[in-house]
Order: sequence, then C-alpha cells, then structure tokens
Amino acid sequence: MNPRRYRLAGIWLTLAAALTLASCDERQESRAQRADFSIYRHSMDGAPSSLDPAQASHLYANFLAVNLYDTLYRYKYLARPYQLAPNLADDLPRVSADGLIYTIRIKPGVYFIDDPAFPDGKGRAVRAADFVYSLKRQFDPDTKAQGTWLWQGRIVGLDEWKENGSDYDEDVPGLKALDDRTVQIQLISPFPQLTHTLAQGFSAIVPREAVDFYGPEFAIHPVGSGPYKLQLFNSASAVLVRNTGFRKEPFSLEAEGFTPESQSRFGLEPLEGRMPPFTDRIEIEFIAEDAARWNAFIAGELDFIKVPVSQFDQVLASREPPTLTPALAAKYYLGANLESGFVHTDFNMDDQRIGYHPDPDQDARNKALRCAITKAFDWPKRNEIFYYGIGQVFPGIIPPAAAEFQKDQDASAVTRDLDGARDLLSKFGWNAGNLPILEYGFPSHVTERQMFEQFRSFMSDIGYPEDKIRSLTYATYGDYARAFLNREVMLATTGWTMDYPDAQNTVQLFFGPNSSPGSNSANYDNEEFNRLYRASSTMQPSPMRTAMYRNMNRIVIDDCATISGISRTLILLWDRDLAMLPDRSFVGGFFFRFVDSGKAGPAAAEDSGREATQ
Amino acid sequence: MSAGSRIWERLRKDRTGLTGLAIVGIFLALAIGVWLGFFGQGWSAADGGRWEPMSPEFWFGTNLLGQDIFQRSIFSVRTAFEIGLIVAVVSTSLGALLGALAGWYSHTWVDGTILWVKGVLDSIPFYLFVAAVAYALQGKPWAMHVAMIATFWTTTSRLVRGEVMKIKSREFILSARAIGLPDFVILLRHVLPNTLHILLVQASIAFVAAIKTEVILSFLGLGVQDGVSWGLMLAESTQEVLAGHFNNFLAASVMLFMLLMGFNMLADALQDAFDPRRSAE
Repeated sequence: MNPRRYRLAGIWLTLAAALTLASCDERQESRAQRADFSIYRHSMDGAPSSLDPAQASHLYANFLAVNLYDTLYRYKYLARPYQLAPNLADDLPRVSADGLIYTIRIKPGVYFIDDPAFPDGKGRAVRAADFVYSLKRQFDPDTKAQGTWLWQGRIVGLDEWKENGSDYDEDVPGLKALDDRTVQIQLISPFPQLTHTLAQGFSAIVPREAVDFYGPEFAIHPVGSGPYKLQLFNSASAVLVRNTGFRKEPFSLEAEGFTPESQSRFGLEPLEGRMPPFTDRIEIEFIAEDAARWNAFIAGELDFIKVPVSQFDQVLASREPPTLTPALAAKYYLGANLESGFVHTDFNMDDQRIGYHPDPDQDARNKALRCAITKAFDWPKRNEIFYYGIGQVFPGIIPPAAAEFQKDQDASAVTRDLDGARDLLSKFGWNAGNLPILEYGFPSHVTERQMFEQFRSFMSDIGYPEDKIRSLTYATYGDYARAFLNREVMLATTGWTMDYPDAQNTVQLFFGPNSSPGSNSANYDNEEFNRLYRASSTMQPSPMRTAMYRNMNRIVIDDCATISGISRTLILLWDRDLAMLPDRSFVGGFFFRFVDSGKAGPAAAEDSGREATQ
Repeated sequence: MSAGSRIWERLRKDRTGLTGLAIVGIFLALAIGVWLGFFGQGWSAADGGRWEPMSPEFWFGTNLLGQDIFQRSIFSVRTAFEIGLIVAVVSTSLGALLGALAGWYSHTWVDGTILWVKGVLDSIPFYLFVAAVAYALQGKPWAMHVAMIATFWTTTSRLVRGEVMKIKSREFILSARAIGLPDFVILLRHVLPNTLHILLVQASIAFVAAIKTEVILSFLGLGVQDGVSWGLMLAESTQEVLAGHFNNFLAASVMLFMLLMGFNMLADALQDAFDPRRSAE
C-alpha cells in the first residue's frame, strides 16, 4: 500500500470513529433525557390506518382514539361485569320518563391540546357544541364515517340532516347544545343502549377548527382533549406522550370497581389518589407477525403482549385456571381475558338447499339437515385444537360477556350427538346420495382452511361424503364479507365483537329486517323472534327483558340457524414492573391512562437507540 | 444408429441423469398409486391427536388437526404431478404453436403481434404477475394453472421461433413448399417435429417451475383451494414451527427438495443428450 493510500485509510478511520462517537453522544443524550420519563411499551397485532375517530371501526384504531380524544362516557377500569362511568360527562345522563330525551352535562375546564389549528396555537375549551359537531360528522358523507350505524334511525332529524346535504350550520332538532356545557339528545324511540354508544371511539369529540385546518390530513393529526397526545405515528409504531393539560381527577379504586380478592395481586393499591395518566410516554408497536411479536416481547423490547395461540403450550402451566410456567410467572403477570364476542358458523337461511323452502316438507327436511350438522359439530375438539381448550363454549347467541348470559342453560345444542344426528338424517330421508353439496366459505388463510378441514372431518363422522363438502375460498376477508353480505355463501363462519355489554348487540344479528346486507348474515327471519326483538329493543335492562332475550336465544337454537358458539380466551402477559390491568374488551384503550410504569430511567435507557432510527 | 438411440445412449451414460430419472420415476409411481387409490387416501381424516410424534401409526407424526402428515405428503405428490403435467403440457404446446407461427411468418404482423404479447408478459416480474392473475381469478378451480400457463409459454415460444426460422430455409421444407403443401401441414408435419428436443427440455423445466410456483402460491393462499399440497403444508407449518413442531415443515420441504432435485438432474441430462453440438461429435 502506498503512503497516499495510508493517508486515505486514516481519514476514513478518523471519520468512522467521529461518527461512532457522535452516535454514542446522541445515545447518551437520549438516555439522559429519557431517564426522567416513565415509559410503557405496548404491542398490537394490527395497526390503525387512520386516527380520525370517525374511522375507529376496529380495536387498534379505537385504542388510540380514546386516548387522543375524549368520549362522554367510558367503562370502569376494574369493574367486571363492565359498567359505564362518566368520562368527559360529569355524570350519567338524565333521561326523561319516556326514555326519549337524554340530557348530559360535560365537565368544566376541559381543553383541547395546543395546536396550530387554533388561534395563536392555544387549545380552547371543549364545549357541548363540539359533541354535536362530532356526531354530525358521522352522518356527513364526506367523512366516510364507519360508525353511522350506531345512531342511524335513532336521533330526531339526524338522518334528514344527512339527506339535506349535511350542512353543519343547519340545526338538528334531536341533537342540541343547550349551552356550552349541556348536550341534549332527543330519540325517535327509546334506545336504552345510547349511553353505551357514547363510550365508543366513534363518539369521540373533535374540534371543527382542526378538521377544517388539516382536511384529509386530520387522519394523522389528532387534536383532542384525551389523556395523551400524539408524537409519532406510522405503520410500524405510534408514540403517545402525556397531555399535561389533562383534567386532574384523582384515581379511586372504589369508583373504578376494584375487587381486592381477584385484583390485589396486580399492585394497583398505591395508585389510589394519584392523577392519571400515570405514564409519561406510551410506545405502541404494531407487529402483525406472531413470531416477531413474541420474540420482541421475550427479548424485553415490549412490556405487554397478547400471546399467540401457538405459544400457549410453552407459556401455560395449567389451563383451568390458566397459570404461567414458573419461569414466566417470575417475570410477568398473566391476564386471561374472555373476549367480548363469539365465533359462530351461520347457515344461509336464504339458500333453499339448506335454509327456508317454500315447500313445507322440504323446509322440515332442511331444518333436520341443519340440526344434524349442528349435532355432529364437535365443540370440545374445536376448542381444544384452535383455542387451546380455554375458550368458553356456550349454546346460542348470547355470549358470556353479555350481562344476560345464562350460565345454567341447557347445553345439548353444543354437545356432540352423532347418533341423534344420524337418526335425524335417516328419519327425514337424507342419505349420502341425496345430501346437498355444502359450500363452506372462508378467506384463504391457514387457520380458516384448517377449520374447514376439521368441519369436513366432523361431518364425515355422520356419513356426509367428503366430496360433498366443498370450500369456497376468498382472497381477502373483505371479499369473503362481501360474498356473505350478497347471500352467496351457504355456510359462513364469522366472529362478532360486541360493541357494548348488552345482549341486544348480539340478538340483533338474527333480527329479520337486519338481513343481508345488514348484520343478519344468516338471513334468519322468525316471526316470534322478530316480535320479541321489537318489544325488547326499547326496554331498559330488567328481568323481563332478560327473559325475552333468553327466549330469542332458544328460538334460534331450536331452528338450528347457526352452529354457535365460542368466546375465545385471550392470554395477556405484562411485565411485573407495571401496575396495571390491561383489557382488550370494552375497557379497551381506556386502560392506558391507568398504566403505572416503573420503567423510568435504566429500563428506558436500554431502548435509547430506537428513537434515533425512526 | 438412429437419433433416438443416440440420445438414449448418451442419457444412459449420464449417472446423474439416471439418478434424476430414478427419483422422478419413484415420485411418478407414487402419484399413480395415489391416483389409483393405493396410498394417501386418508390425507384429510383427523384421526390422531394434535401434533403427535412419529410412530408406527403415523410415520411422520400428525399436524395441528391430528391429520397424518405422511398421508398428506404422499397425496401432495399427486397434486404436484397434476399441476406440473398440466402446466408443462399446455404451456409447452402453446409456446410451440405460437413460436412456430411467429417463426414461420417472421417479420410479418403475425410475428410482430406474438412478439409484442410475449414482450409485455416478460416485462412483468414473474411472481408478481402469477400472484396477480391467481388473485384475480381466485375461487376458480383453474386460476393457478391459467396464471402459470400465461407466463410459461413465452420462453418456449422464443426458442421455437428461432428454431423454426432456421428450419424453414432448409431444403426439405423448400421441397415441401415446392410440391404445394399447405403451410399448416408443413408446420405440423415437418417443422414442429424438428423442434422436439427443445420442447422436451422446456417441458421438463416448466414442470419443475410449475411445482415450485404452486408451492409459493399455495403458501400465500392463492394456490390449491381444495385438497392438499406441499405449499399448503408449509403454510400450516409456519404456526407449528413457532410452537416447536417441525414434522409438517420437514416432510413437505424434503419431499419437494427431492422431486425438484430429481427433475433438475433429469432436465440437465436431457439438455446434454439433445445438445446438437454433442451429436456432431
């Protein structure tokens, strides 16, 4: 090597060393800065594409919406069964005697975060008119809102406001701001679930100035009054930082529904009297791939994970109740969260090969065939294989998460009875030759395909020829959903996540007028069921209403309109340094404000290089 | 010695080629056995427990559903041969026909049109195009076959076109023209048979490519829709490997590797055997 080359190499080495030192400095500075922060690192198995509450149609978007914005109501952090609590509202609504007029007062002194959208960049007070504006946005076609259905046909004048061109300066008779702090909602007919809808991300309150200022970019420029504000958002992660102007409301274990017997082990008692949000910074990683998410958690890069089912074997020492292996129990808390929904396989009752038939004899034969299929379905095996045996199987359409769920009901609808199934087939003249071809639809994913193959093996046990059970695959879930909404799928497996803990939200799935393209994808239409639904839909919760729901449940079971159902148990793990009780159900993202992370300083510093790479 | 005998003689002396032929022969026998119902018929029965280890009852163990992995991997040989054969035969025939037309009518609008279509298809990244066609036609039983045939014919067509352009100026073709034989008769009877060496090699390459592509498409959920294939088994194994169960993954990959290796060895040997430079020696 000649001297010139030596010189060049020296220059390169010096440059590299300087860059390395500079990078170390940056890391040191970042570490020092972050030592003062408390950080909670959350993981999600999907990502939101928009932070506009009008688009908060799924769990991921809802988690962020309820932290960046305020809703009038929320669910109590610790109370099970779930209970509503005032959030921005100062109390539960005052409801008129006829159940038609709701009057809600909002808390004073609540401000939107500072943002260039406001004059001088200073956030202004949240007013009742902001709620009225936010709900109107749900009915503005330009918003392309996904939560409209919650209030459609419910509020006086709101649907007409939409039909008349969605002019925000035009008043809606049933949706008024009586003054800066009072909202009044007038319903067309009683809607007992209204308060629940006001705890959804869809109903979060946005300022008109920000929507006008940012236009389409509002989806990534949230301007709210929630406990957190956004620092970073992309397809891989989001960073929320404490909204220092968030209202001061001391945390009360009693008010949040604390149950010492089951919840004292989570270290929540020291939080009493402190002001949420407790954590300065929440870093959310969107990692769809199970293996990657799990590896990041085990490597200590995440504080929380919903454990992939494929890991249950490695994670759980016992199933009933679920407990962790000793090694994991020393490091993590375990939460077994029964989902607020259920998975069910519906027969398309509009398909004359399996559903309703104009000929009464054939109609009876079809019903017998559906019932035989239902009897042949092996729920314990489905639970064992796909849900590690820790899902909760129940008969019918009212899942355990609903207050109206009946624990001691007859379980014969979810008990395998091969002889009964064969008897039914033979009694109604079905045999291998004349059984119809069953078309089982599913999106083309591995798990759904395996569920189909399992279903086929269940049916072969009653002599249903395998070549008569055919798959109908769709490239995406969207294509699949479109197909069953167009009544093209004979047998469709779907999951339903309840919007609120009231069985009305699930029985409506079988209400005749809700048939496809509505939410009743089974196209079930039973006169008695419809009558009971209509009668119960305007009733406040009561033993009588519960009895009516349970009647409806029985009617669907007797008609064998669906193979149902199972509520999955989610296994959640979180670091023992954290005082929190995470939830993927109705509380959802509301729990972020109550997370107390002891992860200030050293633990945070381990992660200090990350910010620079984003 | 006839040309066929010379080719066979060369092939017989190629040990690698013979090994490839033997491997392909064994797999072909398996596929025929499955077709005839001798083996692999219990591929969909879920008689075992979840992820059972290898045992005399379940030679390769069981998968998540309790299905016999051995039966599934054997049945997948049939799937592979079905797809490979259909795609190889149709795409090679289409390539031969279009290549022959393009070569025979070279520098005319017929040639120009075929070259343009071929150029357009070749300009699209292969897997992207195949996945897009399979996605667009999903739900149709022949979606995957159509996707592959639509792309595989182009190479055959290019090679045949060149060969036909060379052949058409040879004396026996000029004689055929002189006696007034119609073009299609000359093409079918005198030209195409002289491209057989290209077609055989191309068919074997297309066969291998079809099997590989099927595995990739099935892994992505765009391939086999009803039945089982190594691609589907590999897709299933992504979840099983995470839980520490490798039987599905190993069975599908080893079988796939062996068949592809055998076919590659055979295709190389065929190429060498048909190589005109060798026949001139």
